[in-house]
Amino acid sequence: MWKTILRRFLIMIPEVIILSLLVFLLAKAMPGDPFTGSINPKADPQQIKHLMRMNGLYDPWYQQYWNWVVHLFHGNLGNSYQYQEPVTRLIEGRAGNTLWLALFTMILTYVFALPMGVFAGRHEGKLPDTIIRVYTYVTYCIPFFVILVIGIWIFGYVLGWFPTTGSISSDATGWLHTVGSRFYHILLPGLLGALFGTVNIVQYLRSEVIDAKHSDYVRTARSKGVPNRDIYLHHIFRNSLLPIAAFAGYSITGLLNGSIFTETVFSYPGMGLLFVNSISYRDYTVITALVLIYGILNLLGTLLSDIILSIVDPRIRIE
Amino acid sequence: MDKKKLALSAVAVLATLSLAACSSKSSSSSNSGTSGASVKLSASYKNTKATDKSATKNSTLKLAEPNDSPFQGISDPVLSTNAEDADVFSPGGDTPGNINGLFRTDGNFKIIDGGLANQKIDRKAKTVTITLRKNAKWSNGDKVTAKDIEYPYEVIANKNTTSQQYSADYNTIKGMAEYHTGSAKTISGITFPDGQTGRTAVIHLSKVTPAMKYAGNSFIWSSVEPYNYIKNVPIAKLASSKQVRKDPLFTGPYKLDKVVEGESTTWSPNKYYYGKAPQIKHISINVVSSNNIDKAIQSNKYDFTVPNSVMRGTDYKQIKNTKNYKMVGQAALSYGYFGFNVGHYDTKTQKNVMDKNSKMSNKSLRQAMMYALNLDAVNKKFGNGITWRGNTLIPPIFKKYWDSSAKGYPMNIKKAEQLLDKAGYKKRNGSKWRSDPKGKPLTINFGAMTGTSAQAAEYQDYLQQWRKVGLNAKLATGKTMEMNSFYSTIQKPKQNTVDIYAAAWSLSSEPTPTQIYGEDATYNMGHFVTKKNTQLMSNMNNEKAWNDTYRTKAFKQWQNYMNEQAAVVPDNFSYNWSPVNKRVKGFDMGAANQNFWTNLSLTSSSLK
Repeated sequence: MWKTILRRFLIMIPEVIILSLLVFLLAKAMPGDPFTGSINPKADPQQIKHLMRMNGLYDPWYQQYWNWVVHLFHGNLGNSYQYQEPVTRLIEGRAGNTLWLALFTMILTYVFALPMGVFAGRHEGKLPDTIIRVYTYVTYCIPFFVILVIGIWIFGYVLGWFPTTGSISSDATGWLHTVGSRFYHILLPGLLGALFGTVNIVQYLRSEVIDAKHSDYVRTARSKGVPNRDIYLHHIFRNSLLPIAAFAGYSITGLLNGSIFTETVFSYPGMGLLFVNSISYRDYTVITALVLIYGILNLLGTLLSDIILSIVDPRIRIE
Repeated sequence: MDKKKLALSAVAVLATLSLAACSSKSSSSSNSGTSGASVKLSASYKNTKATDKSATKNSTLKLAEPNDSPFQGISDPVLSTNAEDADVFSPGGDTPGNINGLFRTDGNFKIIDGGLANQKIDRKAKTVTITLRKNAKWSNGDKVTAKDIEYPYEVIANKNTTSQQYSADYNTIKGMAEYHTGSAKTISGITFPDGQTGRTAVIHLSKVTPAMKYAGNSFIWSSVEPYNYIKNVPIAKLASSKQVRKDPLFTGPYKLDKVVEGESTTWSPNKYYYGKAPQIKHISINVVSSNNIDKAIQSNKYDFTVPNSVMRGTDYKQIKNTKNYKMVGQAALSYGYFGFNVGHYDTKTQKNVMDKNSKMSNKSLRQAMMYALNLDAVNKKFGNGITWRGNTLIPPIFKKYWDSSAKGYPMNIKKAEQLLDKAGYKKRNGSKWRSDPKGKPLTINFGAMTGTSAQAAEYQDYLQQWRKVGLNAKLATGKTMEMNSFYSTIQKPKQNTVDIYAAAWSLSSEPTPTQIYGEDATYNMGHFVTKKNTQLMSNMNNEKAWNDTYRTKAFKQWQNYMNEQAAVVPDNFSYNWSPVNKRVKGFDMGAANQNFWTNLSLTSSSLK
């Protein structure tokens, strides 16, 4: 087991290097530079050139890349051109927001989806199953940003139940108030994300439950007279969780990605928006830092998924 | 102060860039000059209800900043590079867009006495003397000093600065160039007659120009820096310091209580403010997604949007009839325009050069293309009432300089065809399209930025109109261009991809156009240069131009010349507008109102 993990870790190193090189080059290949958007009648092109030179943007790419790598090993991801502050601090500020929202959404999604999946599987072909299936398909069909806009309009503006912008109220003071306000702000986007993001889990779980229902060990359990409730709880549910568990690793990766849609609609400062903005602004340092982080997270997520799988399913343990 | 960005007419639905029109100064109170607009907005809201004293004292004035991304959080006007930062920190100045501003202005942006400091220009000695008022204080109670007037120049010109504000114009200040290159430790041309802690700073220049009488000029910086408070922060790190981001000082009527990074700012009265005491005791400014701002207003969430912030035409259509709101606006400090590519930029001599034989060098062709367009109809249909056809390259917000009698280019297909025929652009050999006077086929490439669906429709209409008069016009590169690619293309010293393009400029409150249309201007992306044009532009700031009447005339002559030459042609003007809740009293976004924040009061504690 440990050998596997170690081996996977070692493979990650060249992967990360290639990834960073690719990202670096692709970012530079985009038309424009961090100062393209800054031209205005009073901004002197000479000063812009001076700033470009100062930031090493005229150096050959390999030199820029090398400088970047050297800084990286000093824990310095550079300064954002757009935000004029260290990238690490910028990401620090956003990562927390994204993490809380994503974690909350993920937990809620499981809370909604797991019972729905089991229930649908158990009542296969009957009315509850049909309702759940229709529900998941319908929610799957509607583009998420439409849901968000409608959601914020009804619950935020018309009914006024939820805050509509930001991650915290501007007058929040004290620990309790701060945490409460933060939670209040992620409630609506979290709920919407969870209610409309169940389809994968429900469908996987449902088909697994249906499969399990007809398997030998369930029949054996039934013939022994194990109560239905226990069969579902101990035999079927546990086994059906396999693909969901495999999923989990990836979901954790997704935690930091952030949703561009949610963040735009709710003016919620998170990583998704940061990423998109950094691309439009050609904020190279932010782009490369984020892609690198995402890349590493993805690799870790895959690894985590494998580990989880091997824990729940001894059959696939690699030695 | 100069945070004006290139106004991008392209604002995508889930816009990621919002560098759109922002101005350094709020603008005139008159709504004359907006006669082309189909709706009439006034720059102020005259609320006749009585002020509710307890509401004014106890409730919060809620402002929205419509924007699709979190604001950067740089409160210092010397360092900030975008409109959102200027907007969310605007209560730190007398008027929006004038954070820590030195001067007050009249309705024509002319600097007048009575602000934090007064300015005196000595034409003979070539000096500008700035004298602070006796009770000028920072929001922590510290005195504003002469050094605080000088420090912005150090920050701007420092070798390691992150500020984008330095321009060649600053080299007219003595010793500035030496300081900028690092060969001098101080700026020798700025002196303090009564010491650094005194009230006076004298700026010695190699020349003084009439532009210096106006706020937003590129010679005299018009805000102060709290030197004592930030002197220990290296200039390179100033933009990321807590003195600039978390606990900044201000000289305006309000002081910052709290900033939530990227989201909101909250304010309370600055008891050290020199002017009239603010009436409203709490202000909050929240970033609201541009996609929801209409709904936010419709559900009475905010008192108004920060003046100068970007509000779209579609928002206007959505909220113009909202019961509790009054739409207030004035002509924006910007204009949309068409630019023709008529030359190139010589990188050796660093000058723009007209090419006599370039495709677009024929004046009749350019004029004909403009007469072919139906800009009145396009603006009416897609402008939602808040944009209208522009008639000159000076927007009407400059009441004195704007030439109201200029005709511009209203649609006249017949004239367009006549011009083309006369100039030899004829259909030959049964072709559907006109060829050039030499008989060679003519294809015109129109460069346009990717934007909203309405903009895409506008572009199609332009192409259609050109085709109507027999010109084979198509989109350059076959499709609209993403903003960065667009500017990369047309900013090349020499390019043949784009023959005519649509873009926009946002202006400072001092509109001398040399930096965008001058012979050595890199931003002169169409490269139109003539002796006459150079002459007309230099007239705006010659010795005679100290006389206002002469200067006004110079501006008008230039506008007429540019219209006649049709190398850069106005496309549209627009309103800078804001929905104002009917509980707000004293709202006036005009430039003449120098007490924007302190004049505000509330007539009710509820927005509904």
